[in-house]
Amino acid sequence: MEVPTGFLVISLLLCFATTGYGVTFTSLQRTLVVTASPTEGQVLKAGDANITVTWGFNRTFPSGTDSDYRTVKVKLCYAPISQKDRSWRKTVDEMKKDKTCQHKIVARPYSASNNTFTSTILRDIPSGTYFVRAYAFNGNDEEVGFGQNTNGKLETNLFVIQAITGRHASLDIASICFSAFSVVALAGFFYMEKSKGKSSK
Amino acid sequence: MEVSQNSDYNDRKFALPVDSEHKATEFRLFSVATPHMRAFHLSWISFFACFVSTFAAPPLIPIIRDNLDLTATDIGNAGIAAVSGSVFARVAMGTACDLFGPRLASSSLILLTAPAVFLSSIANSPAAFLMVRFFTGFSLSTFVSTQFWMSSMFSPGVVGTANGLSGGWGNLGGGATQLIMPLVYSLIHSQIGSTKFTAWRIAFFIPAIFQTLSAFAIFFLGQDMPDGNYVRLEKSGEKHKDNFSQVFYHAITNYRGWILALTYGYCFGVELTIDNIIAQYFYDRFNVNLHTAGIIAASFGLANLFSRPGGGILSDVVAKRFGMRGRLWTLWVVQMIGGLLCLLLGKINTLTASIAVMLVFSVFVQAACGLTFGVVPFVSRRSLGVISGMTGGGGNVGAVLTQVIFFRGSRYSTEEGITLMGVMIMCCTIPILFIYFPQWGGLFCGPKKGSTEQDYYLSEWNKAEKEQGFHKMSLKFADNSRTERGNKGVPVTVTSYNETPPTSV
Repeated sequence: MEVPTGFLVISLLLCFATTGYGVTFTSLQRTLVVTASPTEGQVLKAGDANITVTWGFNRTFPSGTDSDYRTVKVKLCYAPISQKDRSWRKTVDEMKKDKTCQHKIVARPYSASNNTFTSTILRDIPSGTYFVRAYAFNGNDEEVGFGQNTNGKLETNLFVIQAITGRHASLDIASICFSAFSVVALAGFFYMEKSKGKSSK
Repeated sequence: MEVSQNSDYNDRKFALPVDSEHKATEFRLFSVATPHMRAFHLSWISFFACFVSTFAAPPLIPIIRDNLDLTATDIGNAGIAAVSGSVFARVAMGTACDLFGPRLASSSLILLTAPAVFLSSIANSPAAFLMVRFFTGFSLSTFVSTQFWMSSMFSPGVVGTANGLSGGWGNLGGGATQLIMPLVYSLIHSQIGSTKFTAWRIAFFIPAIFQTLSAFAIFFLGQDMPDGNYVRLEKSGEKHKDNFSQVFYHAITNYRGWILALTYGYCFGVELTIDNIIAQYFYDRFNVNLHTAGIIAASFGLANLFSRPGGGILSDVVAKRFGMRGRLWTLWVVQMIGGLLCLLLGKINTLTASIAVMLVFSVFVQAACGLTFGVVPFVSRRSLGVISGMTGGGGNVGAVLTQVIFFRGSRYSTEEGITLMGVMIMCCTIPILFIYFPQWGGLFCGPKKGSTEQDYYLSEWNKAEKEQGFHKMSLKFADNSRTERGNKGVPVTVTSYNETPPTSV
């Protein structure tokens, strides 16, 4: 049948196209130590709760590993359960296409120790289960190392963020009033039509 | 050509030249003259508003999915719900038009669905989101009243054009909304400063208010038929109030209605499906931003400005020479090519080529929609509304089926789904080959000797009804539809209104 072979050809072409380009996650070493203030399973409210992150160089690696580190970006990342059936949050090995970590907490120039940052969780963070990951970038803005507050399987120290609803009382009232108005107007139309029918010869 | 002894009287009464049913024989786009052109403008604008409302959610899905914590399955289900409500609503609308007239039928429906759009602003869960999309989608059945109204106001020679333009410019809403909603959203978000999750909610008020206003316009400015509203015509006896079960029966026993319902499912249904998935497709697959994805998605729907009307106009042009057979052949060819292009679209993986193929695909698939409604007005005269409703409903069934099979959850990637949809289009276009009108012919066979338009249209009335003279409108229509014989050799004799054949007892 036409469809599978065609698709196979395209997939092969895609494979050739993508190998050799861009940094992959599996090529990175866990050279940073990252901790975050939320405890395991803690529920934080967006726009309300604070989160404190700390990061530093992992001393178990030989010194000099971090010689090309220039900046660090700390991000909120989706845990696997929040990625399920949501392909727009998919983890892909090629860093350019990876969508696991979409929310930046802070970006700082690199320094090997004593890095802390506290901020309120932004109001546009969606509900979900998260962990914190920090990426180290070199001068070419490529990822060269990472660290995260959870284990390799992304199972421990996950915390939950509860998003704002975005609703306001005024919106609710306006919504309901306009809806009622439409229905009442319709009743008015029927009444007018009926009386037109009665009065016309 | 129209030499009726009533022509002076007609010209005095109407701004456009009319036939014996007082339907306009010309289409003047920039006129708003009552009743014909005004009906046209009212119908396309209100239908446009409904389309904007129904597809207001898709361009904002990347925001809404985060706010309401939707999964891909939730989004897919809501998309299906948006087009499934209309399946039965369209048939109901067709019946309502036959019985109460398009003016009341459409303004009622629009006002009844406006609350669903207003209440979208307060949706708070995947279930609520699905409900508001479901009920908002009912408004898409104003399509039927649009086509019915055009078929009541415009003569066979221009009905394809009128239907194509009103349907096409209404469908434009599906494209315009992909531009309007992100724009409104970003104005609210950046200028007024609302957070993302509030801004999209406020944005929904715009389509809702627009929709409500259009209903008012139809009610106060519109008119059911060239001679007046149903209410008045029925009172004066000019129009008899038809019998629902008879109307319904003659519609569902006409196999052509069912075939067109299926094939419309694979031109219009495909269009609805694309409206639902295309912004997200470009956003996720090619990594463009929300704004850009909206623009690309919009261009698909915006092609309706000329492509669907083009199909309708093409139908009328072809019919002048080749009659109904020409209309059917053109429909088949155009829809087949549309299917092929859809297949191709799923296989392309560069952004520019993808946009190019999508645009050509949009032209063909929308032209096929216009061509379909060049044929529909002739399938039945008595049950025009229900046939239009069935075809329209079939369009939505196609959208539901396609989204359920190919675009829900994570079974097929979106690009695989698009290719398979193309294959399905081609398969479901084949039944057009089986449509046959005894008085005009079909794709492969010519007309049956001796069969006339009157035989066909008067067969919808039984003897008792004919004795009471209920069939008079069908008689006029039968005479006016002789143009569907084309002009290959046989001169078309136009019977003036006074020459009613002695068969009418």
